[in-house]
Amino acid sequence: MKKHTPVRLGILIFLTLAGAWVCFFPYKKLGTASLFDFAKGPPSAPTESFDLDGFSRIPVLRGGRVKPIDSVARNTLLVLRNKRTALDQNDEKVPAIEWFARVLFAPEQADQLKTFLIDHDQVLGLMGKKLAKDGKHFSYAELEPHLGEIESSAREAGQTERENQDSFQQNAIELYRGLLLYRKLKNTLAPPPVPSESSEMLEEIGVTEVFFDPEKDSDRTAEYQRFRALTGVVVEDPSLIKMGSSEFSKIVFFLDHYSRANMWSEFFPIPPEVNDPLEKWLTVGQSLVGEEPLDSKEKRKMEPRLFISTLRELVSLSPDDLRKRIATIRETEKMNPTALFASQYAEAIKLRREVDPVIGLYEKLGISFRANNVAAFNATVSQLNELATERAGEASSTLHFEKSYNGFEPFYRSSLAYVLIFIIACCSWLSATYSNSVGKSDRTSKMLRDCAYILTGIVLLSHTFGLFGRMYIEGRPPVTNLYSSALFIGWGAVLLCFATEKYLRLGVASAMGSIIGAGSLLIAYNLSLDSSLNPTGDTMEMMRAVLDSNFWLATHVVIITIGYSTTFLAGFLGIAYVFYYLGATLLGKREGKLKKTLESMIFGITCFSLLFSLVGTVLGGIWADQSWGRFWGWDAKENGALLIVIWNALLLHARFSGIARTRGLATIAIFGNIVTAWSWFGTNMLGVGLHSYGFMDKAFNSLMFFILSQLAIIAFAYLPALVNFVIMLAKKLIEILSNPPPNETGT
Amino acid sequence: MSTESKTKKGQSTLAKRKALFPWLVPLASLRLTLTLLSLSMVLIFIATLEQVEIGIRGAQAKYFESLFGIWHYPIQFWGGEYLNSIPIPIPGGWLLGGLLIMNLTAAYLIRFQWTMKKFGIQLIHLGIIMLLGGQLVTQAIQEESRMQINKGESSNYIERFHGVELALIDVTDPKQETVVSIPQELLEEGGSISSEDLPFRVSVKSFGSNCDFNLVGSKDKRVGVSKEVDQGVGFSANLSIKPKSEDYSSEAMNFGYLVFELTDATGSLGTWLTLSHPAGNHWWKESPKLAGLAFQPIRHKGKLWGLTLRSKREYLPYSIELLGIENEFYQGTETPFNFESDVLINMDGNEGRRALVYMNTPLRHEGKTFYQYQMNKAADYTVFQVIRNPSWLVPYISCIVVSIGLLWQFGFHLVRFLRKNSLQKA
Repeated sequence: MKKHTPVRLGILIFLTLAGAWVCFFPYKKLGTASLFDFAKGPPSAPTESFDLDGFSRIPVLRGGRVKPIDSVARNTLLVLRNKRTALDQNDEKVPAIEWFARVLFAPEQADQLKTFLIDHDQVLGLMGKKLAKDGKHFSYAELEPHLGEIESSAREAGQTERENQDSFQQNAIELYRGLLLYRKLKNTLAPPPVPSESSEMLEEIGVTEVFFDPEKDSDRTAEYQRFRALTGVVVEDPSLIKMGSSEFSKIVFFLDHYSRANMWSEFFPIPPEVNDPLEKWLTVGQSLVGEEPLDSKEKRKMEPRLFISTLRELVSLSPDDLRKRIATIRETEKMNPTALFASQYAEAIKLRREVDPVIGLYEKLGISFRANNVAAFNATVSQLNELATERAGEASSTLHFEKSYNGFEPFYRSSLAYVLIFIIACCSWLSATYSNSVGKSDRTSKMLRDCAYILTGIVLLSHTFGLFGRMYIEGRPPVTNLYSSALFIGWGAVLLCFATEKYLRLGVASAMGSIIGAGSLLIAYNLSLDSSLNPTGDTMEMMRAVLDSNFWLATHVVIITIGYSTTFLAGFLGIAYVFYYLGATLLGKREGKLKKTLESMIFGITCFSLLFSLVGTVLGGIWADQSWGRFWGWDAKENGALLIVIWNALLLHARFSGIARTRGLATIAIFGNIVTAWSWFGTNMLGVGLHSYGFMDKAFNSLMFFILSQLAIIAFAYLPALVNFVIMLAKKLIEILSNPPPNETGT
Repeated sequence: MSTESKTKKGQSTLAKRKALFPWLVPLASLRLTLTLLSLSMVLIFIATLEQVEIGIRGAQAKYFESLFGIWHYPIQFWGGEYLNSIPIPIPGGWLLGGLLIMNLTAAYLIRFQWTMKKFGIQLIHLGIIMLLGGQLVTQAIQEESRMQINKGESSNYIERFHGVELALIDVTDPKQETVVSIPQELLEEGGSISSEDLPFRVSVKSFGSNCDFNLVGSKDKRVGVSKEVDQGVGFSANLSIKPKSEDYSSEAMNFGYLVFELTDATGSLGTWLTLSHPAGNHWWKESPKLAGLAFQPIRHKGKLWGLTLRSKREYLPYSIELLGIENEFYQGTETPFNFESDVLINMDGNEGRRALVYMNTPLRHEGKTFYQYQMNKAADYTVFQVIRNPSWLVPYISCIVVSIGLLWQFGFHLVRFLRKNSLQKA
């Protein structure tokens, strides 16, 4: 850096610091957490306000993964509103965790918050609303009167096959699912109230006195305790298990009631019980009465007499014998609803004797939240955190990291910094052109290129941190789904550009790397919003059985993704060349040294692409041989990968044979962008084949637009040649017309 | 290939080789390679698009396992109503694959320099030839079958996914079954079939690999070939069938049918109808009226025979017993994370061998590979996909060869590139 003058050095340092700040440091608009939060650990609870930070760190299980409540809050809002915040009536932002606390503890407040994004005019029309007048953000309270219409439209839309649904149908289904998700969230911590129509029936069997009474009871655990007391009576005297016994009919009612509540839970709040070997997380209903062994419709097929006698016999067993019997029944009598339901009833009556303390703590949280009792709320949060973390065991080790990671938004920060790099690189060329034209040396341009290079290194750190953060939380290799492939493709290309720029400080690699980096992060962001790919809003989803192999994910998937990434890079360098060539032609200058440099860059990077795409594809074949029994099955995704391999091979051979020169090479590389985009997304849109679990169709228009843009650039590359050809033709024509050859004017 | 990098030794043998096989020169041309590669892209792209319409198996048969296929521009695409009617020939997999192998081999002989510097190039292309050749062999000889086992039971045969056979089983002796099976190829030829082991002749009246069938209630409502049936389930249940062309899609259910007459020295024994169930004939037992299709009895000269049209079977010299199955899901999701079958392989005279078959971990035994394919936890059965592919090792070896070659070659380039740059800087 010695060669720069103090002023230039100052600018360089300023820009570098600005980039670093965007990448790592605290600023509310960038993310609620900064790099420091990872080092600091959880902050101490505030005394004046609710300790929502502590609340957001409580572990729960959703989508098969143990995560902090913070992730659940952000992800559900992402599904409902495509944002990580809600809006209040004055359109002020409400942070996800605050919204979530209200949904769980004070639903009547949450119902007033604008939680749902509806931007389809016909779906709005369904409710008599207009985009221009009513906006696109709605609260549950606003939607509630229209639930009937929404449900019937969604049901009707569901009759159409997914590929044939129009945008109204898709949006109606999405909205319906969102409403369902919201209602499930509200009911996760407590069973939904019994409809008032049936109160007479309830009176008759005498269950009303068991129900929670806000006047007398401090919280719902009182109801659960009374239920336990009821089952205790039957354990004492199993002969009470009979038709018409008042105790037994009450128990049957509550077993049904709590079992139904299981279906209304969006996540599992209760950590595994201490001696559960399977480490299963529970919903409130499951903790009270266990899980229904079959769909509840199967209850109609039970034989009542046999059910009663089996249950009575089971309840009379000692707890240990009962556990063994239940296990045998569930293994050997899978088709026998009578025995299966008796096993659930016996478990609920005899084995589940306590009310889980976690339920009590959540109840306390709710009560203190509604009463605005900050001290009690904060004390309960810390108790709950301690208890739940302890019971969650191993699974909770990444919780605090994940909470900070959620707020850090490494990819949002990186994408902003990439834009900055691109601007700096462009400035460097402008400056170079300017100093060239006035005949001065281009020191400023050099400084800007150095700056872009250093910044690329810094962003790469933040991008890498983002990737490693995901790997640490998931315990998986970097690429596990379409979303993470986008993150990784950008990362790979930028890394390669950084290395190239080290040797060739031209700003080209920095600029192209930053375009690919920002572009792929933008694609990733849009993928995270696609509810068909990502129904829970969590991009760290669980891997289905065939993919559940870290070895193959780490080898085949990573290598093939690097192949995508390098092919894109070669393509973007091709684009850079086309623009350089057009610029030079327009200005009427000869192409300089850059032409050869770009050519050898494209060539060199395509060598990498071929290496990675070929090895990746063959490894994929070997994985397929391991899991599906054939090396190659002409599956759509496999074919896509093969297309990339062939295209890269074609580019190299075209250069070897001398058929393609710089421009030819550049256009072949640009077409490689189309091939790669097809392989990456296009094959998933076909919806055929074994890889179709990443099915998505929303990006079809974007893909077509991308393909057209690439074709247009290829056409531009040949435009000067075409123009020259036309001019030449015209000249010839004029020549012929002005001097007609004498022998043609025959008589 | 830059001329400067040629070494004298490589060049001299190159000239000699060229003189030796002058007729190979056009076949070894790089332009031919480029053309073939471009055509392969067209083939693969179009065949992938076609999978939406005709399924993977259909596209495979039409394009990849043929010399050429005729393609029509899809009608639902832009301008489809005008372009759809134009037939476009697309070169097929056999043609392009074969030509590529020839092109590569010829290049090997007369274009490649046999020097250490180009050793990488040679390795890469050797690996590619192996891959291509291996794939051609695999497509020609690989056999796919399935094996269904109920929990606690064992099975000693596998059934092909495609292709049927008419089995005539002599079950007179409960201890020893005698099976005579007539393969699909013979049934397709039609005519009259006899065998030393059969006391009667089988005359094929109609055979097809797919049909629609329904129970029509009375004889008069039966249509087409099914009218003539006067014996067995086809007669008693009044089955009417309508022939249909075979469906190649991946979720296809092809019900093969066969109408045939049995005759012996005394004359006709009646006309029979049999249907094959695509998932195995035990599925007929699910519907009471058709249960007989799994086994239609006929008494003949004191012997009891059973007739059935079933998926082509292969008996194994060992049997596999299903001890248990496991199907686990991530909690609170519908995403499975494990399908697992616990099996015991029983061989004659030997102690059994226990094995766990789960995703990404198949069981390889005596040249066959058993993959976890389907599973039903409630009904306690598992289905394996069974594959015999003697050339399964080829891709593994070629992968290694190609990788070494690529690393070798690009290593050379990278080192040269870096050296050149550091020289320029200095």
